[in-house]
Amino acid sequence: MTTPIRSPLKIVVYDNSHQGEVCLSSHVLAEAAGITPTRLARLVRLGLIEPIHPGSDEFTAAEALRLKRMLRLHRDLGVNLTGAAIIVDLVARLESLEAQLAALRGRP
Amino acid sequence: MAVKFRDYYEVLGLPRTATVDEIKRAYRQLARKHHPDLQPAAERVKAAERFKEINEAHEVLSDPVKRARYDALGQQWKGGDDFQPASGGGKAPAEWDASGDVSEFFASLFGRDVGRTGRAGRGGARISFPGNDVEAELPVTLDELLRGGKRRISLDGRQDVEVTIPLGVRDQTVLRLAGQGGAGMGGGPPGDLYLHIRVVGHPRYRVAGDDIEMDLSLAPWQAVLGAAVQVETPDGPVTLTIRPGTQAGRRLRLRDRGLPLSGNGRGDLYALIRIVVPEHPTAAERAAYETLKRESSSPADRPAQ
Repeated sequence: MTTPIRSPLKIVVYDNSHQGEVCLSSHVLAEAAGITPTRLARLVRLGLIEPIHPGSDEFTAAEALRLKRMLRLHRDLGVNLTGAAIIVDLVARLESLEAQLAALRGRP
Repeated sequence: MAVKFRDYYEVLGLPRTATVDEIKRAYRQLARKHHPDLQPAAERVKAAERFKEINEAHEVLSDPVKRARYDALGQQWKGGDDFQPASGGGKAPAEWDASGDVSEFFASLFGRDVGRTGRAGRGGARISFPGNDVEAELPVTLDELLRGGKRRISLDGRQDVEVTIPLGVRDQTVLRLAGQGGAGMGGGPPGDLYLHIRVVGHPRYRVAGDDIEMDLSLAPWQAVLGAAVQVETPDGPVTLTIRPGTQAGRRLRLRDRGLPLSGNGRGDLYALIRIVVPEHPTAAERAAYETLKRESSSPADRPAQ
């Protein structure tokens, strides 16, 4: 999807320097994930999504990725969000184990 | 334009006579196996391609109207053939939940290529969907961790993006660049770009949390008698006072010379003491060591205490 939208009404101009966000407020996180703040608040209450510190309104960008993965798994495979959270965390563990294994193999 | 004909039955591994239940089951099984979010990062992109095909096949075959339309065509074509779409085709039902882009073949058949052809609204329905999120790795040097910096990054077929590396990031920190992912279609918003920071190794310095560690090699007499040694640090040269009797393995702390924290302040720098013995002592050095051996209070035929 590299072709720009050819519409005379909507011209999007990106300035080309970006300060990447490491932290997102709950409002921005909900918007990034395409869910309502109420739904996000429920996920936080259930402990499926965690702020930077308990009770904080700030989340890491890594947590945004986690949330998006959970929502996709929920939508595409029909797993509930608790199950999706478990899957996402297990895949992350698998990734870190594979990285460790690769590092050990690379060693002389 | 000609596109490749896709055999959706082959994608799902089904005969053309497959029932609705069989299609559903095949889709579920394949989705469970190939869903990109179930794969480790290294295999995610490949899985995403496959999953897109599976989704598209399911999208067509699970909808009786689309399936009938596809079947009518499918009798004349085989997978991979050049396919010339009939003109005038393409209504765009509004309910389709498109979670990404679709193949040229799908678009030519069902007219869903809204973003590229600008046909939005023509079929009585306006389709728009957000662009995909894009994830990429961003290798960052220790120097960039210490001082921040700007990096120009290139992504496949896209305009370069300049990223500011903020102070306080670490290995595996994720940076989000809102709106810098894949373009949306039909007026949908663009996806986000997520950059995973990976700290590249440095020959002299190791990162440990907020701290930096380095080796500091001393000659035996420097360790025994004490010394003032000039040491290279990430902040420039520093004179370190080595106290008499400094043992190998001790860690000397240089406060506030580690990595910057995201708020104020910095971690510490640690110098790990190593003792290096002269491999090729001069005659004078050898004589001095011989004297030391004779004069030493520790016995020559036992390990040092």
